[in-house]
Amino acid sequence: MSYEGVLEQSGLGLQELVKAGEEIIGYIYPHAPLELILAHGLTPSLMRAIPGVSSGFEESLQTFACSYIRNLYNQRTNDQLPQITGLLFPSNTCDSLQNLTDIWKIRFPDDRIYRLTYPVTRYADDDSTRIYLTKELEILSKMIESTLNRPFMMDNYERAVSIIREFRHDAQFLYSARVVDPEVLSYTELSRLVRSFLTAPLVSVASEIHRVSSLVKEKMKSKGLLNIINSIMSGFQEKDFSKVKPFKRSPGPRILAVGGMVEPQAIATIINGINGVSDSIIVSDLLSFGFKSVFAPPLDKNGEPFEEMAKSILAAPGEPTQEGLQYRMRSLKDLVKALHIDGLLICEQSFCDPDQFEAPSIEKVASEAGIRTVRIPIDPELSDRARIEVKIQTFLESAGYT
Amino acid sequence: MTEKKKEEKVYRQLESNKLLQQIMFQYMLEGHQASEENRLAWVTSGFPVEIPVAMGVGVSYPEQYGAVVGSQKVGPEVCGYAEEIGYSQELCSYARASIGSVEKPDQSPMDGLPTPQALLAGNNICGTVLRWYDAVSEQTGAPVFLFDTPPITDGQPDHHKEYVRNGLDRLVDFLGTTFNTTLTDERMHEVADLSSKALELWNKSLTACKTSPTPLNCADRFLAMAPVVSMRGTELIIDFYETLLDEVEMRVKEGLGAIRDEKIRLLWDNIPPWHSIFRFFNGLAKRGVAFPADTYTHAWSGKLKIEGEGDDLFDSVVSIYSNVYLNKGLEAKIDKMCELIDDYNLDGFVMFSVRSCKRYSLGQLVSKEIVSERTGVPGVVIEGDMVDSRVYNEAQIQTRVDALLEMFM
Ligand code: SF4
Ligand code: SF4
Repeated sequence: MSYEGVLEQSGLGLQELVKAGEEIIGYIYPHAPLELILAHGLTPSLMRAIPGVSSGFEESLQTFACSYIRNLYNQRTNDQLPQITGLLFPSNTCDSLQNLTDIWKIRFPDDRIYRLTYPVTRYADDDSTRIYLTKELEILSKMIESTLNRPFMMDNYERAVSIIREFRHDAQFLYSARVVDPEVLSYTELSRLVRSFLTAPLVSVASEIHRVSSLVKEKMKSKGLLNIINSIMSGFQEKDFSKVKPFKRSPGPRILAVGGMVEPQAIATIINGINGVSDSIIVSDLLSFGFKSVFAPPLDKNGEPFEEMAKSILAAPGEPTQEGLQYRMRSLKDLVKALHIDGLLICEQSFCDPDQFEAPSIEKVASEAGIRTVRIPIDPELSDRARIEVKIQTFLESAGYT
Repeated sequence: MTEKKKEEKVYRQLESNKLLQQIMFQYMLEGHQASEENRLAWVTSGFPVEIPVAMGVGVSYPEQYGAVVGSQKVGPEVCGYAEEIGYSQELCSYARASIGSVEKPDQSPMDGLPTPQALLAGNNICGTVLRWYDAVSEQTGAPVFLFDTPPITDGQPDHHKEYVRNGLDRLVDFLGTTFNTTLTDERMHEVADLSSKALELWNKSLTACKTSPTPLNCADRFLAMAPVVSMRGTELIIDFYETLLDEVEMRVKEGLGAIRDEKIRLLWDNIPPWHSIFRFFNGLAKRGVAFPADTYTHAWSGKLKIEGEGDDLFDSVVSIYSNVYLNKGLEAKIDKMCELIDDYNLDGFVMFSVRSCKRYSLGQLVSKEIVSERTGVPGVVIEGDMVDSRVYNEAQIQTRVDALLEMFM
């Protein structure tokens, strides 16, 4: 299937919602407070960069804006964004997005824009970040209520907490199961499921994921692998791989895709497009719209809602805003060792500061761990797809995998 | 006649530049000494430097080092050392220059900056600095302290102030533990007094440029701002800013301009192209174009001590350092540009779209339109980089600036 086809398929839920007259709040940064939006009776939908959009950014953005925001902006100028009631932008996460929001507000003054300003503090042994973000979330909630006349409803919130908790639990299990047996579920299917939920967090999507996860659980149970998978899942959750139980590595290459705001589905499509290569070589990813979203801790229903949401966002793994480089690299080092990773696909969105700054450190970690890496400069149009495929193929060949 | 002499004809050298060179040299020596004594921190330009200074910690300023690399026209080489170890050419060239010089100090100007024992990053100028300082930390082993000042849209709410204030308390703890030092109220007040005094003197020099002809041109201000950015709070720089102000006031009194024949007055937006700074501004000076104001050097005007205001210096730090130019939205930048155009009686503006700096540059295409609309003066956007001359197309820039100048003919 073409990449466009893949995207269309996982966006079906959203189309249905729009048709049914649901109000959608689009969000851009992975760590949006989904529960909060749902609590206001709205549907949060992760906006996505898509291929094949005509240009339109040139009058407002220079070419050195990252390819991701250029794509979103093109969609807006060409009226290709889904029908949404409002857009939630993050603030204080990266310079491109920071400035994009200001530009958007000026160029499209009638769009309803919300902004959530994240704290960027690492390892503060006080509760200042939590207090700060809790307040930001309260303000966002009030803003949504006053602009859309949709109050925060406790029963909506509780439902949202349950459904997202269930989604996270199932998706985390699937991520962990694939580490042990990448063939148990294709990476394409896993990324489609996760994407579908992030695009439209519907009960039906969560149920589908739950069904798949139950099937996988059964299979893994019959192979006696559940204990190992649970230990991997705890390793991911606790960012500590010392207690991962030893397991027999699967045959074939075991590659980890790393990077930031890159679509796991784009990676799956590229890999599947390479002759003679299947996506089971991708054992896991550490991408923002995949792993990092899935492994944000679920909320405690009994806690104070805004504080619980703040805690979850702040504990999402692998985000440079909350974890220093050293910490992330140490964690990566442990992870590749514990999970028998033998190659890294380093994905970099073009002109993306966070991705491009991190890549050399990842290469260093990989080289110290004796594993190979390949850097994949990527943009939402997959404009360099042929070259990327050749690059990955050469990488696999040189590593002796094919 | 040689090119240099011709240039001297259109451009008046500042006498106080000699003193500037001396103090910059002394600053460098002090940096080395601090490093040898294990008490040197690298700081970003928007960092509340008064606090490390008051705690006896020496500071070096890598963005300034980037400017030196640019001025010495070795940007491509030094940035190249960072690219060789994997840093993309798309990243900020200040960051690349500093990472490159840490990698190959012996092949970099002045053998690189002295080795730091800590890295103090403030994200009130951009988000790039935290990733850059993390990278340098990996290279040098020096720990990073991140001073987070979330961007400001409509004023600074209380929970925001409290959060930043907590960051300051943590900074004092961090410096205390890392450098085995303490902060006394008395020393903090002394440093704040000196910092405010330097800023006051500097602001007076800037304001004097409202006069026509302007006593300072863009390059003058960019060079003269170095001490107030990196050495605010030290005694050393007061003398320089007094001398500079005397000279500026003398020029105003005698009607002497920074350039000899001022015909057109323009606003400059963004960092200058350090590799071509004299060539660019003096080239325009020959055509009677002066730059009495710019958005960059005016960013350094926040005084910690304001008479009649509360005495809590930390509160003042929280507010001043959160409200810096680059930490506010596009609207604030547009307002500032309009204000400068108005106050300094400017005929137009040049916006340098710096590839390195997304925080400063993204939005310029929009602000250009709005500023022109509001002020009625024309402007132009030129694209390039401040350090990496590989992405600076002089001919193209020339054509664009010519097109702007034609509007004034
Ligand atoms: S791709 Fe990178 S630069 Fe672009 S918005 Fe995401 S984090 Fe920011
Ligand atoms: S990105 Fe811009 S503000 Fe940040 S360090 Fe580079 S030049 Fe300075």
